[in-house]
Amino acid sequence: MELTIDRIEELLSLVRDEGHRSLDLRGVRFADPYGLLLLDLLIRDQDERSEPLALIWPTHRPVVGWMRAMGRYDGLDASRRTGGRLPDVHHALQPITPIADERAIMELVDGFDARLAERYRLDPSPRNTLIRFMIELFQNIPQHSNATGEISDPHGVAAMQDYQDGIVLAIADKGVGMRASLSLRDPGLVGSDADALDAVILRGVSRFDDPGRGEELMRIFRMVRSWDGTIAVRSGSALLYHDPERGGDLYDVAPFPGLQIALCIPRRVFGIEEVDGAPEDWFNGPNE
Amino acid sequence: MDQMNKETYAIARFGRRVGTRAEGDAARIDFLAALERLPANGQLVISLDGIEVLSGSFADELIGKSYQLLLSGLYGEKTMLIKTPSLELAEGLDDKLTQRNLAMLCLFNGDWSVLGRLAEPHRETLGLIIERRTTTAKELAEALGIPPNACHQRLKRLVDLRLVHQEQIGATAPKTQYRFQSIL
Repeated sequence: MELTIDRIEELLSLVRDEGHRSLDLRGVRFADPYGLLLLDLLIRDQDERSEPLALIWPTHRPVVGWMRAMGRYDGLDASRRTGGRLPDVHHALQPITPIADERAIMELVDGFDARLAERYRLDPSPRNTLIRFMIELFQNIPQHSNATGEISDPHGVAAMQDYQDGIVLAIADKGVGMRASLSLRDPGLVGSDADALDAVILRGVSRFDDPGRGEELMRIFRMVRSWDGTIAVRSGSALLYHDPERGGDLYDVAPFPGLQIALCIPRRVFGIEEVDGAPEDWFNGPNE
Repeated sequence: MDQMNKETYAIARFGRRVGTRAEGDAARIDFLAALERLPANGQLVISLDGIEVLSGSFADELIGKSYQLLLSGLYGEKTMLIKTPSLELAEGLDDKLTQRNLAMLCLFNGDWSVLGRLAEPHRETLGLIIERRTTTAKELAEALGIPPNACHQRLKRLVDLRLVHQEQIGATAPKTQYRFQSIL
């Protein structure tokens, strides 16, 4: 089992489609920020629904160490942890970071950029493009995740990790999602979560009747595709996924609140070479 | 354009990386005050010098919306243009102006270009006006080899976008005569 962009849906389906109330994660050999954020939000959401998950946490030490370094165990009920001492890990790039206040967005963006810049000398042009992406993606949480005003806390979070072949940036919330947000403009605008993803990501539609709004997610989607990167955008019961090998499509997935996005941008885009001994090796590889 | 009527407005006053939509919205108050202070035919040169990142959201709130107000006639005959050290830096603004179906003159590396949406024939006409500094519709139609009506259509779009100045030079029958001037 893996907690990754292309495998986390299996876990969500177990809980949301099949009604499992316990998860055994001992077999997890690999995790990425997107998988980690979705697991984090799933646990919170199950708690809020008064249907808490009984978890048996990963035991593979590199995975446990990375999750700890990314902040997953902070504030977590100790009874949910597996036993044993958690190892020190120094490889985590950008731990899970809450995103709530729009006034703090630029500080967070600078922080994410600084983490990356500490580790790599990035080409200025793609670096600045990534900063623009982060500004738009981060500010979407305070601007849209509770657009209807019905959520007490949409739990906006972001995290980032470097891998052997790319940088993964994940942004997630469990707010009202795209369909509810678009319905504020026109209740009949979109009929399903898949329609909402199609409207926002592929056609640049915004919930605001203002020609200057919208299109940013569409540009990010197109740019990541043009870089031969991987992108996943999930809202409600729909997932728009694209990677350079399999292409892209809209998929029906297990229903889950909010909006979750992952970008995997190849290292070469930033002018940094692919390396051996990057996190895949720390995890002993996903196919071990 | 008389140098006395030009004022440079540095976006870098808001930081070298800007910014969120809310920050752009807040910055617009100061920006519009600068526009207000200009003389009647003044020009605001928006400088991106010292900027590393200009997000589409910030650009739209600060510049896109302000430009829309300018074109509505709220600020008389004043004009606005961008000066940038790189066209890439202005990409976010370019996108937003395109979304708003607007176009703005941009100075880059000693040359000019247009940000936003402007059809190629209009760019060609604008280029000729900039080259000649001042000209008439009749002269332009002849130079471009197009019918007068087509030339008037192009000029109307350029004037509406404040990409050129239009000055009345006579009221001779049967039509009012105008001279068109570069704003650079």
